[in-house]
Formats: sequence, structure tokens, C-alpha cells
Amino acid sequence: MKYTGLHQQIQRNNTNSFLLLIAFPALLLGMFYIIIYFIARGNGSENPDDSYPGSLDHNSMFLSVVPFILIAVGIWFLIAWAGHAAFIRLATGAKPLDRKENKRVYNLVENLCISKGMKMPKINIIEDDSLNAFASGIDEKSYSVTLSKGIIDKLNDEELEGVIAHELSHIRNRDVRVLIISIIFVGIFAFLAEMAFRSLRFAGRGKKDSKGGGAIILIAIVVTAIAYLISVLLRFGISRRREYLADAGAADMTKKPYALASALKKIATDPYIEAVENRDVAQLFIDNPQVSHRKSGSWDNLFATHPPIEKRIELLEQFSPL
Amino acid sequence: MPFIIFLVVIVIIVLWMVSLYNRLVSLRNRRQNAFADIDVQLRQRHDLVPQLVETVKGYAGHERGVLTQVTEARSAAMAAKTIDDKIAAEQQLTSALQGLRVQVEAYPDLKANQNFLQLQEELSDIENKLAASRRFFNGATTEYNNAVETFPSNLIANNFGFKREIMFDLGTEARTRMEEPPTIKF
Repeated sequence: MKYTGLHQQIQRNNTNSFLLLIAFPALLLGMFYIIIYFIARGNGSENPDDSYPGSLDHNSMFLSVVPFILIAVGIWFLIAWAGHAAFIRLATGAKPLDRKENKRVYNLVENLCISKGMKMPKINIIEDDSLNAFASGIDEKSYSVTLSKGIIDKLNDEELEGVIAHELSHIRNRDVRVLIISIIFVGIFAFLAEMAFRSLRFAGRGKKDSKGGGAIILIAIVVTAIAYLISVLLRFGISRRREYLADAGAADMTKKPYALASALKKIATDPYIEAVENRDVAQLFIDNPQVSHRKSGSWDNLFATHPPIEKRIELLEQFSPL
Repeated sequence: MPFIIFLVVIVIIVLWMVSLYNRLVSLRNRRQNAFADIDVQLRQRHDLVPQLVETVKGYAGHERGVLTQVTEARSAAMAAKTIDDKIAAEQQLTSALQGLRVQVEAYPDLKANQNFLQLQEELSDIENKLAASRRFFNGATTEYNNAVETFPSNLIANNFGFKREIMFDLGTEARTRMEEPPTIKF
């Protein structure tokens, strides 16, 4: 695998994330369109006297529902937007890092920020022995870098600097914002999928006589499940590409790609590196973190949020120190 | 018809020149803003130097030469107004402080002084930050200089008085030292 130019990669990523952010609402609307289409057809077959052709019927029905869908999604989105920082803190048990308590980490972050002329993010710490770090936030006020106690204690200064630079690159490249937006959208799909499954159970018990209703719910489930799967794939597409870019950004910041490579080697020995990220993703699913958590757990085995660590190390070692 | 085409071409060229000019201006402003970051660290260093000098005086009062050098370099640095002057004066102060570091090596009592140790730690912290902000400043300067010297923006730069600006270097000898994290030994 070859290293491509940084600016070119940033540009490509920005275009892609913009397209993906359009793709999420489009996917949602498409999903509702298909469901409404089947509902309209179901009703049409029950009333043969109806003189309107089915196509006109489901189109107007769809158009009358669209504003409500968009408003509901908007409200959901605003709540998640405002509350995501608190959700992440709650989910990960992170607490703000005190400058006096840990001057070493504070100075590393501050110096890196100064050298790139960026505003310093908040620093959080998780009391956990595993090696973890992640960046979050959507604007200058909420950007934060969270480090586990394990990563602070087990890495030396150069390695820790590399890891922090990696997280700062996520912030600089606006990855964190895109990621959180996409997490919110995936959460909406997860919620809808959950609703569909519940209504199936409910329908199974309630009205066995209505065959058409059951079929519609089944279709709804299939469509929601497919939409959910697509949304999850889109999200992982976003995050995986961005890891390489953040590695490149970190190498550019510290001029010490080998330090980040050796940090990654150490991190790879701890299987829980992804744990925090999954938990925080799960928590962002606002409604039902438990079910979403179970699901995201199994999805994650198939679609890891990060590319294989060996590949990243290999790429980092291709950098020549400047 | 040819006249319209001619007009359109002229307008496009003018718009293009305007955008080149604006880019040069914003790059120059960015360099100046970057220097503001450096200035913060420099001012902190200026505040720290008198305390350091006082502490050293108590233990190594007869090292007058070095101490005066540091004090004078500090006043000169504080008096400097333009970016270029400041860079030159601060380079003097940096090398004076380095001279002081070498001199105080001979005073074990001083090196054990709690107050002195704390000052030394603060100074090393400031110099780390200074190195970081200098990196940002030099990056901004390089970008500006590239725009001034490369085609086609150099055409605009030459006509509107954009000149190549200097970097904040520490001279070649100090530069190799800066590559490593500055460990300060007194």
C-alpha cells in the first residue's frame, strides 16, 4: 500500500464525507418511500373500488409524510448534537484532566497545538489500564481528546506525543464532527430497526387475523434492516479511511513517524483498544444503548472501525523522517 | 463579438490577479498572527529572567559578566519593536541564557536550590513552547515566502511590495540542539 499525498487525501475525504452526509437522509427517505409504497399497494388491493391508480396514491402519501420525517430527524439530531459530549463522558467514565495533576500530558497537547496554531481541546482521562485514546467534539468549544490512564503510563513521551498528534489530526481534519454526525444517523436507523422488530412481536401476538398487516411489517423490517446495514457500512467507510490520514497528519506534526508506529505496536497488544469507542458509539444511540450495544458489538467483528494495525505501522514506516 | 470575448478575458485575468493579491495578504497576516503566539512565550521568558538572575546572584555573585549579558539582552529584547528586530534580539537572549547555563554548572549549591530548580523547570517549559510556536511561525513564513517567490504570484508580489521575510531560526549551531527536546542543565 502506497502513501498518497496528504492534501489530496484531505480533499478526497472532505468530498466523500459530504456525499455520505447527503446519503444518510436520502437513505432514510428512500426507506420510507419503499415502506409506504407497499402499504399503499396493500390498501389498494383491499379496496378494488378505488378509482385512483396505486402509484399516485403512494406518491402523495409519501409527500405528506416527508415533512414529519425530516422534522423528527431534525429534533433527534439537535438533541444528540447538544448532548453528545455529556453522553460520551457518561459512557466512557472520562473525567477532565487537571493540569497540575498531569503536567506531562498537558504540555504535550499544548505544545502540539501551539506548533499547529490550533486552539487547545479539552483533555479527558479514563481510569483504565488498557491503552485507549479517542477524539470527540463538533466545534471548538466541545473538541476534546480522551486518553486512558494505561496509555499515559505505558507509553514514553515520544510515543504518547504521536498518539496525541493522531487524535489532534482527527480534530484538525474535522473527522470527529463527521464521525459524530454519522453516529447519530446510524443511531436513528438502529432505533427504527428496533421499532420494526418490536412491532413484529406485537403484531404476532395481537392481530393474527390481518394477513396484510403482517406482510407490511415484514417488509418494513427487511427494508429497515437493509438501510441499517448500509448506514453502518457507510460509517465504517468514513472512519477507516480517516485513520490513515490521521496517522499521516501525526507524522507531519511530530516528524517522528517511528514513534507513532512503536506506540501502535504497544497498543496492538491490548485487545481493548477499541472498547471505549464502541461503548461511546453505543451510548450515542440515545434510545436503547443495550440493544444497540449488542448489535454494534457483533457488527464490529465484521467491520472494524480501524484498519489493520499492521498496515498502519507499515505505512508509517514508509515515511522518511524530515 | 470579438470585443465581448476580449472583455471577458480581461475580466477573468483581473479577477485572477485580485485573488492572487488577496492570497498574499492573508498569508502575510497569518505570519504576523503566528508571531503573536511566539510573543506570548517571549514575554513570559522576559518575566522569568530577573528572578533567575536574582537567584543566581545569591550563589554566584561574581559571575557578573554573564549576568549583565543576560540582563542587557533582556532589555534589548523588550525594547525591540518590529518582528525582525525582535527575532534578532531574542536570539541574543537565548545565547546569553545558554552562556549562563554553562557558567552555573560549577555551583552545586545553586543547583540544589529549590527555588532555582522551579525556575529552571518553568524556563524549560517556556522554551519548549517557544520551540513549538516557532515551528508554526516558520511554517507560515515558508508558505508566505513560497507564494512571494513562485510564479505566478511573484508577479503580483514584486509589484505590490511583498518581500521575502525571515524565519525565526536559532543559527545553525543552536539549531542542531533544538532538534532534540531542550533539556536544560544549569
